[in-house]
Amino acid sequence: MSIDIKHIAKLSRLRIEDDKLAKFEKDMEAIVAMVDRLPNIEEELCLDASNAMKLREDKAVPNKFTRDELIANAPKVQAGCLVVPKTVE
Amino acid sequence: MKLYEKTAAELSEMLKSKECSAVEILNDVNSRISDVEDKVGAYVTLNEKAVESAKKVDQAIANGETVHPLAGIPIGIKDNISTKGLRTTCSSKMLENYVPPFNATVVDKINDAGMVITGKMNMDEFAMGSSTETSHIHLTHNPHNLECVPGGSSGGSAAAVAAGEAIVTLGSDTGGSIRQPAALCGVVGFKPTYGSVSRYGLVAFASSLDQIGSFGKSVKDVAMVQSTICGYDKLDATSEYIENSNYASNLKESVRGLRVGVPDEYFGEGIDDDAKESVYNAIKTLEANGAEIKKISLPSTEFAINTYYIIASAEASSNLARFDGVKYGYRAKDYDGLIDMYEKTRSEGFGDEVKRRIMLGTFVLSSGFYDAYYKKAKLVQRKISQEFSSAFEGCDIIATPTVPSSAFKIGENIGDPLKMYYSDVCTVTVNIAGLPAISLPCGKNKDGMPFGLQFIGDKFKEQTIFDAANAYEKICGGFNAIAKL
Repeated sequence: MSIDIKHIAKLSRLRIEDDKLAKFEKDMEAIVAMVDRLPNIEEELCLDASNAMKLREDKAVPNKFTRDELIANAPKVQAGCLVVPKTVE
Repeated sequence: MKLYEKTAAELSEMLKSKECSAVEILNDVNSRISDVEDKVGAYVTLNEKAVESAKKVDQAIANGETVHPLAGIPIGIKDNISTKGLRTTCSSKMLENYVPPFNATVVDKINDAGMVITGKMNMDEFAMGSSTETSHIHLTHNPHNLECVPGGSSGGSAAAVAAGEAIVTLGSDTGGSIRQPAALCGVVGFKPTYGSVSRYGLVAFASSLDQIGSFGKSVKDVAMVQSTICGYDKLDATSEYIENSNYASNLKESVRGLRVGVPDEYFGEGIDDDAKESVYNAIKTLEANGAEIKKISLPSTEFAINTYYIIASAEASSNLARFDGVKYGYRAKDYDGLIDMYEKTRSEGFGDEVKRRIMLGTFVLSSGFYDAYYKKAKLVQRKISQEFSSAFEGCDIIATPTVPSSAFKIGENIGDPLKMYYSDVCTVTVNIAGLPAISLPCGKNKDGMPFGLQFIGDKFKEQTIFDAANAYEKICGGFNAIAKL
């Protein structure tokens, strides 16, 4: 199967440099050919009840972090807020 | 014998009887790091505050307080496990300067026990790889032959134990990332049952397969670490309550009556003859010591790698969507608008293997392909789990090779993703079925490179694995896990 790397990259919010496209395409085709080989099992997928998650109570709890701690790793901060490019005209 | 050559269990006894102090142990490990780290490259970041933890333990012992059995033992932490105030990079440019504001639950437990964190261990970028070569930070070398890879993705954690640069380490295992490097570096590596250790604070790769586990020079050491880190955590909805989690105190020393299943499918094509022979010899040793060997069949094993790469990549593509250059981590310098910022940030911040896995995951989940790949893989996953469940009706553990061959040369497989993926062929089934498994050293090839013997247990049968593995270690007369450097 031929894989449209540019399209998949776009869906993944990635860009592949032109000089790497051919290698990515070849590798992805080989990988997809490998994972393609799976048996057809005529059963329905259902949730495994024995593996159910124990969801915690939907209850407000105090945040243990300060605002400064939470934004300390942000690439761009101004007046205590995260800075992002303008998205609305 | 130097302190760094000793096991955690031995050092624990020495601390208790005041033969040495926690600061002395840390100093000895640090001087070993100074001597060999240039050659091995196991660490990403050293913990400069380690000595403070060691002093606290010494003070507690001097005050006559009862301390945890692992108090004062130096431990290295894989660099995808969050450590408050200590850089956690996932060996990626994306998180090169990321300093977590919180501890992973396992790190809190380790601190509560008084263990001394030596630093953060190198790994494949975001745990995607089998050789630690995809690390953005630097290469890690196999202490048994510096031209070879240590395995991966927890290559730094495995190499550090083999090189004496830490007494024990933590790793994470999504498809074999603890057991495969443990085998290639000649140390013990344990992957717990899915749900037995909290994943809170572990940077997610494939959430339904990821599990934190440990490396050590002996079975008792990893059993002690597992006893310390396991248990329910309200911050991880998939974690489970564990009863009787004191695994290390009464380890068995005999395999008499142990029913050992041996599946043909793990000894077929693609497994090197010398790897097979070393495992067959280990199985003969078990039999000679009273174990009952049973031939079993796990027919869906042939689809395991395919199933694994679909499920793991699908989850990775979703988990890694959070790296967008907004909240934390790397952001591209120049961009024109939001989408351009996302694309440039992610393209510059992720390495090629991470991009491949994100794209594979995106592809198998994309419209028109979901049924053909993801749904099919989930059905095969159930079949693989059912086959294991049936097998465990007739045996206590399953014995297989951990790796299809000994450590390969640095650079040998990195250009060929498929060849790299096949190095996980003996380990991925365990993650797919959520089972516990251990890798034990079981001999070396003619060039002195180690092989691994894998014991797989039924869900939450950690004790059965530790007992069998400890007995095997005793029969072998110990593992001599420290490499000559």
